[in-house]
Amino acid sequence: MENSAFRSQRKWNIGFILFLTLLLALLSQISIHLTLIMVLGISLGFVLQKSRFCLVSALRDPILVGMTQLTRAFLLLLGISILGFALVSWSAAQRNIPLSLNIFPFGVHTVVGGLLFGIGMVLAGGCSTGILIRIGEGFAMQLVAFFGLAVGSVLGERSVKKWSNAFGEWPGIFLPDILGWVPTLILEIIALSALWQWARWWQKKQLGE
Amino acid sequence: MKKTLQTIIHGPWAYWVGAIILGVLNILVLIVRRQPWGVTLNIENWTEWIGTNLGILNDRGFTFQGLMAASGTYLNLGLLLGAFWATLVASQVRFRPIRDKKFFFSALIGGLLMGYGARIAYGCNVGALLNGIASSSLTGWIFAVAVFLGAWLGSKLLLKYLI
Repeated sequence: MENSAFRSQRKWNIGFILFLTLLLALLSQISIHLTLIMVLGISLGFVLQKSRFCLVSALRDPILVGMTQLTRAFLLLLGISILGFALVSWSAAQRNIPLSLNIFPFGVHTVVGGLLFGIGMVLAGGCSTGILIRIGEGFAMQLVAFFGLAVGSVLGERSVKKWSNAFGEWPGIFLPDILGWVPTLILEIIALSALWQWARWWQKKQLGE
Repeated sequence: MKKTLQTIIHGPWAYWVGAIILGVLNILVLIVRRQPWGVTLNIENWTEWIGTNLGILNDRGFTFQGLMAASGTYLNLGLLLGAFWATLVASQVRFRPIRDKKFFFSALIGGLLMGYGARIAYGCNVGALLNGIASSSLTGWIFAVAVFLGAWLGSKLLLKYLI
């Protein structure tokens, strides 16, 4: 049964691979850089779908059902990314290659935005990335959520100035500037490990495994 | 061997496998793009362009050519195509309709809150949380705590009104 279902979409799969190849070949005539970016985007989408990686589950499931496997996998992803980003930005600085990291200003709106985002993603059944993945999987619910996301993002972008004028805003703090690279990395890895231990303990406590 | 291939094609992959590959891809995006992976800003920019063309929004200078040259467009398009392809290789492609009217409204309201929240905090789970923390930025950690609290509140709402 599984096998016949597998055969049923095989032709479509071959057709889609041809379509992707053609699309990337065309794009490569315009820009190699954008072609590489698109290959990375496709890979991210593929892996996110295949591993059912979802940041909503990672943050919600400990509370909702007491499961923390995905939470711990997310902590692993954070750890890999922190070390990788440190290595890349350090070697870029050595070679004078311009590189910008996501050091954003913060204020009351960071907290309000995070709260609204957290509530919203649970209600919508996916964060902005998850929504794109689930649209790819064929879910109609996330298509509606995408429409909301698009409208909400414009409203947000056009009101962030009001928030920062009303409540103030402080320039983003790049931790290595204050603490130095090595202490920052040690501190972050310790924090992630502590959260990892806590997540494991939490699941044991909730589900008794 | 055949079983391994079956798992690769049909999934699901173990979470830690996903985490490692996603970590590598996330770093590769930083190297190629010279800027971390992000999702919502590009969606916002496209919506600005559509809104301007419909005459609903005042022009903020987004052009079709500009958006087609933006790397964020290809990352988001890639996510969509990649997820579709991952479903297709497993022969799992089908339309999945909304089961209940209340989910239509929760998706719409959730999406609105999420879009608004992401743009006043300068990013979503990817740009601000994952890559804020990956960039060793204090803002990333502050945002993470707020999103976690929000998810907790959202779960309460979910249990009370939806499930």
